[in-house]
Amino acid sequence: MNITLIDELKELEQLVIKCMKCGMCQAVCPLYKCNFFEGSVARGKISLIESLYYGNIKDAKNTLKILDYCIACGRCEKNCPSGVSTVEIFLRAKSILRKIQKLSMFQKSILKLLLLHPHLITKLSPILHFAFKIGTKEIQNDIYQVNFKLFGDRYTKSIKKTFFTESYGGINKAKNEKMAVIFYPGCAINMIFTDWGEKIIKLLNKLGVTVIVPDINYCCGIPAATMGNIDIMKKLLNQNYTFFKKHKVNYVITACPTCNYTLSDLNSVVGLTKPDVTFIDILIFLKEVLNIDINTQIQEKASLHVPCHYQSKDIPKMKKFVSNISKNFIELSNQDCCGFGGTFNLKNYHDSLSLSLKKVQEIKKKDINLLFTPCPGCVMNLTNAVMHEKLNCRVAHPIEILYEVIGENVSEDKTQKN
Amino acid sequence: MNKNLIKKLKEILPKKNQLLNSEAQCALFSYDAAFCKKCLPDIVVFPENKEQLKEVVHLMYENNVPIVTRGAGTNLSGGTVPLKGGCVLVTTKMNKIKEINSNDLYAVVEPGVITKTLADAAQKHDLFYPPDPGSMSISTLGGNVAENAGGLRGLKYGVTKDYVMGVKFLDSEGNEIIGGGKTVKLVTGFNLPGLMVGSEGLLGIIHEITLKLIPKPEYSRSMLVKYKSIQDACETVSHIIASKILPCTLELMDNFTIQAVEEYEKIGLPVDVDALLLIEVDGHKLVVEDEFNKIKDVCKKHRGDIFEAIDKQQKENIWTARRNALSCLARLKPTLILEDATVPRSKIPNLMEEIQSISKKYQITIGTFGHAGDGNLHPTILTDKRDNEEMLRVEKAIDEIFEKALMLGGTLSGEHGIGILKAKYLDKEIGRATLTYMQNLKKGIDSKNLLNPHKMGIM
Repeated sequence: MNITLIDELKELEQLVIKCMKCGMCQAVCPLYKCNFFEGSVARGKISLIESLYYGNIKDAKNTLKILDYCIACGRCEKNCPSGVSTVEIFLRAKSILRKIQKLSMFQKSILKLLLLHPHLITKLSPILHFAFKIGTKEIQNDIYQVNFKLFGDRYTKSIKKTFFTESYGGINKAKNEKMAVIFYPGCAINMIFTDWGEKIIKLLNKLGVTVIVPDINYCCGIPAATMGNIDIMKKLLNQNYTFFKKHKVNYVITACPTCNYTLSDLNSVVGLTKPDVTFIDILIFLKEVLNIDINTQIQEKASLHVPCHYQSKDIPKMKKFVSNISKNFIELSNQDCCGFGGTFNLKNYHDSLSLSLKKVQEIKKKDINLLFTPCPGCVMNLTNAVMHEKLNCRVAHPIEILYEVIGENVSEDKTQKN
Repeated sequence: MNKNLIKKLKEILPKKNQLLNSEAQCALFSYDAAFCKKCLPDIVVFPENKEQLKEVVHLMYENNVPIVTRGAGTNLSGGTVPLKGGCVLVTTKMNKIKEINSNDLYAVVEPGVITKTLADAAQKHDLFYPPDPGSMSISTLGGNVAENAGGLRGLKYGVTKDYVMGVKFLDSEGNEIIGGGKTVKLVTGFNLPGLMVGSEGLLGIIHEITLKLIPKPEYSRSMLVKYKSIQDACETVSHIIASKILPCTLELMDNFTIQAVEEYEKIGLPVDVDALLLIEVDGHKLVVEDEFNKIKDVCKKHRGDIFEAIDKQQKENIWTARRNALSCLARLKPTLILEDATVPRSKIPNLMEEIQSISKKYQITIGTFGHAGDGNLHPTILTDKRDNEEMLRVEKAIDEIFEKALMLGGTLSGEHGIGILKAKYLDKEIGRATLTYMQNLKKGIDSKNLLNPHKMGIM
């Protein structure tokens, strides 16, 4: 390892030194619970970074590999007794070590194309959709089994022919407008869960909220950062922030907790100033800003998986809101991570699958038919697990049902109360 | 490490990730939770059963490779740092609870079972496994036995040693040794479980433990007592014990610790008091009420201001405060050094006084909390390891804390073990002859000095 890189790593010392090596991250790390391997947990990873810059070891290649083996669920940071900023440490360290272990040209061009040139991808959407259809076969309504085992024995949702921003990019005006907000779809809703976006806009319009949607969806940048390219994340965050600043709104609504977390919390990692807006999850917006109550409850036996990146302060409110949707709501006793982790799922499919299979055992035991989770990644991963276990359970974002239960019953205008 | 040996190990441990030897992987096992130097092992192995374990140990013996046994690596005295390299043997994949017997009140476990996992499993049978070291949500039972782990309940329920009925382990050659068993009374041969408790991996490698379980206490009550003077709090502790009452927990927090906890937890702790006592009594309801009142009298007599927890939430808050004491202190400064000097309980006021004067003398920050009821305090030194000048003062302060603890008839370590960190003080407490006796024992059992060599000052 050359001296400049060691110096760059040493810049993390101020963050790293807070770790007292107590090991309490073992108690919360989803990967440690499966493999009991010190390299899974934050203490191990941090210790390696420290060993590199102190010159105790030189093995940058395997250190990067170990740093990379992480779902990035952030549970270690949330539960760290010493308040260590594990996410920032890992993202920055990976970005430094990537300079030695470069991504392959192929990975790099995919990353750049996908993230920095989304308009091209949008144009290619019919071709992507076509390729997807060839590579899969439909098992149930919008659940496809992948034909090529190279990608793992997996079930997935489809890439849509027309992306969300193509249909809804621009200003979606409410008839009796009371306020305007931005809805940031993020890649998953833009390409796959387009119906969530559609329902959010229609519902908000009905409630008197004008919704501005970017014409082109720029990724929040988290996949680039987890792959060790923090500069791309910076570019993307900046691009998005510029868009948010341009429209004078108070709220930027998201329906993906990871996008929300990246936009609202990771700016400091790359030294950017956030625009003066509140990044708010759609459910919290409905509950706290619009004061929506759920009047008609559904009967299905339902439960909730809390996504790891959901803002901690909002979790109790979200839980309360979602549990109200069904008359037969059961709380899950297993509150573990589903194991998705975006790029982690692509690189470590087997581990990701085994975590999600563990997670759905309770669904099976308690005979739950509807599993809510307000996150595209969790929906994707848990749908896969449910299909593998052949369970009669739909995994859905609460908005899919909320649209039905409140969308038709928006009689009272509650925004005046605010 | 030579290739031939690695090849043989691979045959014994065929699964992916059962054998690690890249530099980065080895570095993951070069430290534990102690503030201590790092040493890299040459190889790390994860046996999954007794058969694999036996073969590994035997192979290492034949090739003269030292073995350091390790669980979760929560050790606070550097006991799992591989000083001489060699093989780190991790037990975390031997983690089955083999039996919980609610007729005969015992559990049989593999060494890698996490302490809390057993405690929870016992609870499902309405049974109780009391030892609760601070790291119980991650620490392994094998490690608890090898270090004789303590916890908050030591005063009434004792520590790990009081629950070990049987230990099956391997000697340095890989032979199976059986110590103790499943009966309450058992006097066949030496008390080998007693020998293994606190042996810190120097005398054998544990592969099965039989632990005593007890009926779960039916009722408990908690209180928090505020003191304007920490000496009054310490006097209260001595007098509670002297009045022949054993609360299940009797914990002390000094003002510095209280402030740190309140700053992060915001649970309404009084930050203007000099000390707090946190007390819980458990057992039969009538007895608990009676003892609770007696304790209240003692507290009042020593100018304590009592706050009784009347519901579950209040009770929860009290124990959250105590459980999070260490972590809240840890947030204040980059480096934290946790000590566990222990004295006979009546000497708690004296030890507290000494710690305060040492803190002043060396101008270092010490937050003190701990298991006052069993004489075990945790003076916690907050510093920055990059500040060389301060580190010298810290070192002197630690030396002096130990010196005073010994002068008061106490011990170097109540529950963290000797390992590397306290080895240099050992002969001061137990003397040359005892050290030689221990050394001879080690030599007789492990003539090649392969099991966790050079720990506890034993060469």
